[in-house]
Amino acid sequence: MLDGLASLGASLAGFAQPLTLAIIAGSCLLGITIGALPGLTATMGVALLTTLTLKMEPRIALMVLVCAYVGAIYGGSRSAILLNIPGTPANAAACLDGYALARSGQAGRAIGISTTGSVMGTLIGIFFLAIATPVLGEFALKFGAYEFFWLALFGVVISGKLTGDDPLKGWLVGFLGLFVATIGQDGIHAYERFAFGDRDLAGGFQLIPALVGAFGFAEVLTVLAERARRAEIRSFGSHLPRPGDVLKYWRTVIRSGVIGTFMGIVPGVGEDVASWSSYAAAKRASREADKFGKGSVEGLMAAETGDNACVPGAVIPVLALAVPGSAPAAVLMAAMIIHGVQPGPLIMVNNPQFVYDVVAMMLFATLGILVFGLALVRPLLKVLQIPRDIIMPIVFVLCVVGSYAIAQRLFDVWTMLGFGVLGFVLRRYNYPMAPFVLGIVLGDILDKNLRRGLVLSDGDLTPFFTRPISATLAAICVVTILLNVPAVRRAFARALAGGRG
Amino acid sequence: MSADRPAAAPHAAGRPSARADLVWSVIWLAVGMAIFHGGFTMDRLEGQNINPYTAPGLVPALLGVAIALAGAALLARSLRRRDGDAGADAGETSWGRLALVALLCIGYAAGLVGRGPPFWLATALFVFVAIAALQWPERRARGETVRGLAVAAACAAGTAAAVTLVFQEVFLVRLP
Repeated sequence: MLDGLASLGASLAGFAQPLTLAIIAGSCLLGITIGALPGLTATMGVALLTTLTLKMEPRIALMVLVCAYVGAIYGGSRSAILLNIPGTPANAAACLDGYALARSGQAGRAIGISTTGSVMGTLIGIFFLAIATPVLGEFALKFGAYEFFWLALFGVVISGKLTGDDPLKGWLVGFLGLFVATIGQDGIHAYERFAFGDRDLAGGFQLIPALVGAFGFAEVLTVLAERARRAEIRSFGSHLPRPGDVLKYWRTVIRSGVIGTFMGIVPGVGEDVASWSSYAAAKRASREADKFGKGSVEGLMAAETGDNACVPGAVIPVLALAVPGSAPAAVLMAAMIIHGVQPGPLIMVNNPQFVYDVVAMMLFATLGILVFGLALVRPLLKVLQIPRDIIMPIVFVLCVVGSYAIAQRLFDVWTMLGFGVLGFVLRRYNYPMAPFVLGIVLGDILDKNLRRGLVLSDGDLTPFFTRPISATLAAICVVTILLNVPAVRRAFARALAGGRG
Repeated sequence: MSADRPAAAPHAAGRPSARADLVWSVIWLAVGMAIFHGGFTMDRLEGQNINPYTAPGLVPALLGVAIALAGAALLARSLRRRDGDAGADAGETSWGRLALVALLCIGYAAGLVGRGPPFWLATALFVFVAIAALQWPERRARGETVRGLAVAAACAAGTAAAVTLVFQEVFLVRLP
């Protein structure tokens, strides 16, 4: 415990340099701006910034990305409250009560609540990040090939189930993502799979250009295909948080923070599910449930606490298992690998200080959103009024140059274009993108560990189902899938009704 | 958990029609079977005496089966739902704008970048044409065409200069 605090102190002191603090401030502000602008999501922002920070010192580069990630998830609430347009998908729940408060002339109060909720949520998530990562990392040392295979499949199955409203489509794109990861040289024999003799394809698809396409170019197409609407900003009063709002709803804050963090830890689920889950739990437990959706302070607090608590939560499995908890966390993980940090169960053995560095980065980011969230309310209003027709072509230029800059080859630009068009088409037909991304990230883990496991057991499938952790993960995957088969669901419902009768 | 989301969350995508799902299910079935075929017929490296459980085509073949099975489930579901499902409307999408944006973006990234003109020129051209074209109807209606073109030119010059300077001079990237 004391060792952990000393390590955290060292990390905080390491970042507390004037230039570093200036970079933290700039990154938080950039993140808030990216989040506040509808159409620029946290995933897109972190992916584009990854390409902009390639030449920086690793700790500083990753700090920029963490600050931008936290800032973007918070910043998305601004347009949700003022325009009824969620800046990022994570802030959709904030539209319901935030905009209702704004319409009743309380936009300032809503901004104060969202800032307070976001700060409290991030702090709760950071608490769990600091205490759970070492524990989970130590636990993950017991994982073998069988467990890692199931963990990869578990991520895709759970992400497919929870991130959209149609699990079947989530699983389809998740499997597609897993397949995309197998294209190129395989990790065991370096055999070229599905490369068709193309030298670039033999190297496989790089994650960052694929993500910039799926989240950047797809978003450019989506946003610009819609007819532009003029932003109408309503007048508002004081945006300073009221202590009474926090004290009155402290149970909601803690509950939402815990739910948000847990949703972050579950692979591939992410901030939007965290926000809706926290909102739904608050509504069920509230004495003022009838006010939800009509300008409820508690509802807005729950949504904003939940989504920001999810950010540190999503980083926990990145550090301990090398499995991302959300789409932006997947980009963050890719950036860590690019910068020479290898996340996973061995991180507490090989690089324990890095875990506390990430905790320190999150703490500085929280301070950043508190200060800028309250101090720069009016300048951010001006940013919200910049037409999307001007922003999006510039964003597309960054998508192109960012994809190219990683390896300086045009193939990555074409990858970005291909994944962008695919992402746009899939999204139009209600296919969620998070399982797809998670599939691409986890494909290599699933591929290598299935084959390693089969070699270890000499083709015997029993260890995949009999080792305790494997059996648990396998059972969750199988039950999750079976409960979405209508005949099985009906039989289960009948059995439940029979049991009660 | 997703069931907790309100049916009409702000700006949520509409539900696609059963017909669209039917078409997609056929695509998924075809993709799944093609992947399975590719994985199943992939070289098993027997000549190198490798363990057969590490054959490179094993995982792609299994994923092909999974995609085909899920595609078949989608097919069965869309056939069941075929009656009485009107599907989603097209929302606020302007197909003309979509075609224009796709043409500009793909033309810039695949047709201009790395194909002759220097990066800064290709970028300036793209940003100018994109902003001017996308804002044209609104600007013309308000009688601000000259101002619109000036804004587009300023954005184009600024973006081309900033991106080229940052990536080429600061990050030392050899731009195409």
